[in-house]
Formats: sequence, structure tokens, C-alpha cells
Amino acid sequence: MNLAELLEHSARRAPQKIAFVEDTMEISYAALAEKISSLAEKISSLQFAAGARVGLCFPNSVNYVALTYALWKNNLVVVPVPTECPPEELHEITATMELSAILSQKPLANGEPLAPEIFVSRFQIATNANNHGLNLAFIRFTSGTTNARKGVALTHETIRDRVLAANSAFQISEADTVIWCLPMAHHFLITIVLYLNVGATVVLARHVTAKPFLEAVNRWRGTVLYAAPFHFSLLARDHSAAQIESVRLAVSTTCALPPDVATQFHQRFGKPLLPALGIIELGLVALNAADPLARWNSVGKPITDFAVKILSPDEHGVGEVAVRGPGICDAYAAPWQPRETILRDGWFVTGDLGRFDADGFLFLLSRKTAVINLAGRKVFPEEIEAVLDQHPSIKESRVFGRVHPHLGEVVEAEIVLSAPDAGIENLSHFCREHLAAYKIPTRFHTVPALPRTPVTGKLLRTAAV
Amino acid sequence: MIQASDIETELLAFLRREIFSPDTNLTPETDLVGAGFDSMSLVKTLLHIEQKFGKWIPEGEITGDALASTRALAATAARILNE
Repeated sequence: MNLAELLEHSARRAPQKIAFVEDTMEISYAALAEKISSLAEKISSLQFAAGARVGLCFPNSVNYVALTYALWKNNLVVVPVPTECPPEELHEITATMELSAILSQKPLANGEPLAPEIFVSRFQIATNANNHGLNLAFIRFTSGTTNARKGVALTHETIRDRVLAANSAFQISEADTVIWCLPMAHHFLITIVLYLNVGATVVLARHVTAKPFLEAVNRWRGTVLYAAPFHFSLLARDHSAAQIESVRLAVSTTCALPPDVATQFHQRFGKPLLPALGIIELGLVALNAADPLARWNSVGKPITDFAVKILSPDEHGVGEVAVRGPGICDAYAAPWQPRETILRDGWFVTGDLGRFDADGFLFLLSRKTAVINLAGRKVFPEEIEAVLDQHPSIKESRVFGRVHPHLGEVVEAEIVLSAPDAGIENLSHFCREHLAAYKIPTRFHTVPALPRTPVTGKLLRTAAV
Repeated sequence: MIQASDIETELLAFLRREIFSPDTNLTPETDLVGAGFDSMSLVKTLLHIEQKFGKWIPEGEITGDALASTRALAATAARILNE
């Protein structure tokens, strides 16, 4: 199967229904399907081999969505590339993910126009990327233990299963209007693909501040908000009289919900924020729809078809969280590692520590995994460390998330200097040349040595401090 | 007492360096949102102010008016930092 067919089905079912609102433009499902077909033809003329991997470097836009589906229609694999990447990082992504091309809104090196505001940069690759016979649709970066970047690879069928499972919890239908503000390069499958499968309307909110966001909610009668704690914090602190009566579902994702945000949002709007647990390898695992007010710090119960267990629990019931369910990723792409070797006896071990309460609500206590969530963007420490370690004055580094009361987490780094008098005056400039702005550590701490595990000497990672 | 003009100088240098590309001719009056200032830019800017001046500017204080220009943002920051 191909996910593009599911969108075409939505377009046949309700051709005149509005699929997207972008600024003042409204685009119906029929018009979106037509745009996809037209872009698919243009992409087809580029004659990529089936299964070739193509980077997509676009800000949130209808073009982002249409190109994703147009690539799928051509049986190509979509690899989201954040727009903030400096050239060196783009080069590294291209090599690691074995990209045949990148489609971008602004012309990159060798970029040639494909359509208005769409450029294609093609790369000479010796052999096509090997997808090991899988019907791959999507590769999303995550961090690796052996190299700075690996990709979570998903087939069309896996994404379909993941979307169906997520919607058993969200219950989103064609009657819903989603007000969307998260970066599509980081959030797309159990969100945008899900909304388009069921025929909902998506309003792209580009607003930086609360007031225009609230105006968008009320103008379009938004029913679903899906955002990071930072965005809900912005809304909760709005001083106006605006309400959001049309909203039936406000989901807080990407990182733990700070307590004052949950309370303030409820006080301000009379609506609960529902904490959700999404994991790149798994999709949506849990959603706290049952008791978000009293248990605001729980991600709730596992959603239908998912099983969660605590491995080797201590006397308080705390242990590592393992998950089994539909939509588990098919492989890691770089280096290739099939699903069977990712799972342990059929379970995905998340690296998070957690416990269940007596009523079956899951509480995450600390994250053993290192991913840092900065206001909805995922940051992988290993990537940043790989860059820092190239600096001539840095012997080694450890990047971690520091808990921030308004943002969830911010990126900070510990560095060990190569010599006591080594200069790091140009470190910020160095980082800007090599890293997207949001990944650059806010603070650098010079330390004499980094903590390592006593036996294997692996860098010790702690939860956000 | 922190002067708004000092914050403006600091913010202009930060925005030119960290947020906008060199071809954006950012002046104290440039409309920030019009020039491409987005929610991640806001996050980075609020973090920078917190680090430089020791206080987090509550997100709710950042209205559309506060982002009308670097000068307006500096004035908002000065008001809160001096509270």
C-alpha cells in the first residue's frame, strides 16, 4: 500500500472540504490532491530509482505536505531535513542518509528550480541506498550510540498502523480543525498524516505570540491543539479575555509538562492539557485523557493495542519502561539494523525510567535516553558532541538538557579542554558554522573530566538536571 | 536600573549574529516578525536575555507590539527587568 492513496481517498470522499489553511489561502482536499499529482509528475521527470531517499528542507507549508505525498506517490523515501541546518550539517546528513537529492524552498548548492518556490539539488551517488526490500516511506533522525546520527526507518504499512493506533486515542475525525504550530520537520506522522487520513482541516499557525494564535483558534473554530509545553505556556499567560470554547482536545507533547503550565492553562481556559508520550521508534504510546487534572504529571494509560511493562522494578515499582505495540519502526537506517535486532524479546526498551500507580497510570520519572526537547524541537546530544569534539581546544564533551521552567529543557554542554590554556573564545562562532541555531548550547561548562561508566568507560548520561 | 538603550544594543548584536542572516539589514526599527522572527527565534532571544540580564521575561509579556521592532522588544524587556 501507499499512504498517498489514503489521502486520495479523503479527497474523493469530501473533495470540497478544506484540508489546509495557510495564511489567507484555503486549499480543499481536491485541490491538495491535484497539487500532489502535479508535483508527483515533476518529481517523476527527475527519474529517481524507486526507493531512493530524498531530503525535504521546507518550513511548515502546504508545499511541505504536498511534496511529502508527491514523493510517496513516486515510491521515494522522505527524509525531513530541518531548514535551520548550516551547509556542513546538510552535507553530513546527505552522506549518512545516502540522499539522492534534497528538495528545498531556498536554493541550496546546485539547486535547480522544479516548481515555484521549490528547488532540487541532486547528488551523485555511487549506488542507490539499500532499503533491504522494505516499502520504506520515511526516515527520521535520531541519535545513535555508535555514531552521531541514525535514522528511524518506517514503511508505508507501519505508518498506517501507527496512525490508526494513535487515533484510537485522539478520536480525530473530519469534524475536527487542528490549529498547528509545531515544526513539521520534527512532527508529521501521527499528526499531519493522521489529520489528512481522516479528512480533518489543518490551520497553519505561524504566530509567535498568544494573541494571533487565539484569534486563529476562534476564527477557524479550532477543536484540536497539539503543541509543546512552551506553546501552552505562552497561551496560559495571555492577559486578554479571549477564550477557546471550540477546543475539545489540547495535547501537550515532546517533554514533561511543567506543573504551573498545566494549572495555569486550566485556570485560564477551563480546559485540561492532556500529556502524551510519543517515541520516535513507536509513535503515540500513551495519552492521559482519563485524569489530566489530578494526574497532570502522568502520561496516562497505554493506548489500545499497546502494552507497557516495567523491567526489573525496584521496591517502589520503578524500572526501565518497555513497550510493545503496532507501528514499531522497521529498522534503523544508518547503519542498517532491522526491527528484530532493535527489540528485546519483542519489546522496545525505551531507556526511560517509570512506574505505574495503582490505577494503571504511567509516570515517567527520568529519561535515561539523552534526547533533549527544546520547545518542540528534538535535539540529540551525540550530534552536538560530535561537532564540539572537532574544536581544536576541546578534548571531549558531554551535552545534556537542563530543566527550564518555561521551555521544558535547554541545551548545555560540559567540555574538557585539550590543554589548560586552550582558547575557546571562538566556540560560539564555531558552533554557528556547524550546527542549526536551536542546537547550539546555551551554556558551556569547563570541567576537568567527564563521568564514565566504570566497566565499559561509556559516557554516563543522566536525566535532565 | 538597566537602560533600554543598553538592552537594545545587546539585542541588536544578538539578533544580527544568531537569528537573522547577514543579508537582513536589521535596524532598531525593523519589524521582527515581518523579517522572519519565529517562535524558535523567540525562545533563543528570551534565553539570551535571561542569561545576559539574569531574569526570564514571561512569554505572556511578549505581545505583537513587543515584536514590532528591536527597540520595542528592548523597551518591554527593560520594563520587566527593572520591576
